[in-house]
Amino acid sequence: MGYAAARGGLDAVVAAEDLVRRGRTVGDSAWLGTDQLVDRLRLAVDRVMGEAGLWCPELAAAALRQAEGDPIEAAHLLRSYRATLPRFAYTEPTDTDRGVVLRRIVPAYRNPPGPQLLGRTTDYTGRLLDLTSEHDARTEAEKLAALAWETAGLDDATGDVMGDETDPEIGHDDGHDDGSVRRPRRLLEVLRDADLVVDRRRTDDPEPVDITRVPARPPAPRSARLAVMARAETGALVNLWYRNILGPDGYLHEITLGDVRHARLPVTIAHPITGGSVTIGHVRVTEVEAIEDLDGIDEDRTKFDVGYGLCLGHNERKAIAMANLDIACHRDAGASQLEQSILLTTDGLDAAGFLEHLKLPHYVTFRSMVERKEAVRAAAATSVRDAAPIDHLVGLVPVDPVEGDCA
Amino acid sequence: MTDRAVLTTEDRAELLAAADPSAVIDLAEACLAVHGAPIVVQAPEVGLVMLQVREPVCEERFHLGEVVVTRAEVVLAGARGWAMRPGTDRTATLGAAVCDAVASAGAELSPDVIELCLATNRSRSVAAADEWRELLATEVHFEELD
Repeated sequence: MGYAAARGGLDAVVAAEDLVRRGRTVGDSAWLGTDQLVDRLRLAVDRVMGEAGLWCPELAAAALRQAEGDPIEAAHLLRSYRATLPRFAYTEPTDTDRGVVLRRIVPAYRNPPGPQLLGRTTDYTGRLLDLTSEHDARTEAEKLAALAWETAGLDDATGDVMGDETDPEIGHDDGHDDGSVRRPRRLLEVLRDADLVVDRRRTDDPEPVDITRVPARPPAPRSARLAVMARAETGALVNLWYRNILGPDGYLHEITLGDVRHARLPVTIAHPITGGSVTIGHVRVTEVEAIEDLDGIDEDRTKFDVGYGLCLGHNERKAIAMANLDIACHRDAGASQLEQSILLTTDGLDAAGFLEHLKLPHYVTFRSMVERKEAVRAAAATSVRDAAPIDHLVGLVPVDPVEGDCA
Repeated sequence: MTDRAVLTTEDRAELLAAADPSAVIDLAEACLAVHGAPIVVQAPEVGLVMLQVREPVCEERFHLGEVVVTRAEVVLAGARGWAMRPGTDRTATLGAAVCDAVASAGAELSPDVIELCLATNRSRSVAAADEWRELLATEVHFEELD
């Protein structure tokens, strides 16, 4: 059987796409607005932004809706859109100490500088499916909304909202609050004060790798690894962490988390007319310090070392895995394939794209494989037919080599 | 307290970037009614800003990801006005550039632009205070056990 070029399927593709579009837009339920997704499914929207490496909640929500809730597909849509846009600028280097916390816990230390602030979380709540009826849930939501409205009205009446004649200080980088309580000192600093942590601070300030312009390949600078992990697929990072929690000594290393933060960071660029710093907006990030108990033969066992995780949006699982892999990769120092795995296998688009291409027609390659199988069978049948029958054991023993050949 | 006189160009750009889009557009329309059509130096354009951060462990820089922004630049009332806002709202960004030019020129309606900026700042402060009030309820207070 030979190969035959073929075309077709366009009408089927269009009809299939139409099924998706109609299912998404014409269903029996009310229209799903992107504002609803941003407000009520923020973790999904945040995950899409983080894995796309692109901050824009409205577009991420639109992508999530278009992808029927598939976060990897939504991240793909965002990355494709991003590829059509020009880059205007790099921000000024934003010190992550400038983040204004929305949540901050320190699992390693009960009384860190600043608060243990749980923020918006269900970490400490039993995982029980809420089976409240839709009617009761809606009634409750309406009551809460009315209460919030009344409270706002009360504030208005007391002049707390917009009626205050006092203009607050304009913070250039404040994320809407300049109180130090919302920018607490890190546990890392406490450990440094106590000389308990290896000091890896650099003074040479190397230019960071831009992985959107230059593919990161091992061995890569740490800036490339951090950037790759920041936009990696969450499940891939968690899985890679889970496979690599063995330390260099082969024993299980369970690190301790220092600061775990969900914070708002300023986006600050140089004003094109004055050259001064101007904050044009804010992004929310998740930030994690992973404290490693050094116990390797060539390590300073009197100290700890720290890994760092930071990603767009609220995604603690991802930031924790990233911080763990950062310190694991540092300790590994190229001894294993960990860095290669981080750089080359954690991108959701890379992995899912390669996987999903398997769904495309492989008619020609598979036909070729079938023909090879048939050829092997034919060759085997020929060799069996032509082979002389062996009817005694000696015939199966290979002939000894001539001894002189071994000299 | 912020003195109106010390509202710098950068402060103004920051607050016009954060201001309510419909308020910006309404004020920009009023500015155009008074000062006429602007020279559009840079038509509103959607693009990216790469967010560069400095992490605390090695104090190294790395690229966290990109932010979608829209920028525009105009000349109006003899002054340049520039704006960059997060997101893809071209009309509001062009409006912000118009307002910036009017304020920069100190022209008619300049006080309205300043007032919009200050109102935005007050609104942000109120929102921050509300947010903090809610968050404070989630602060953990440990009790020492004997």
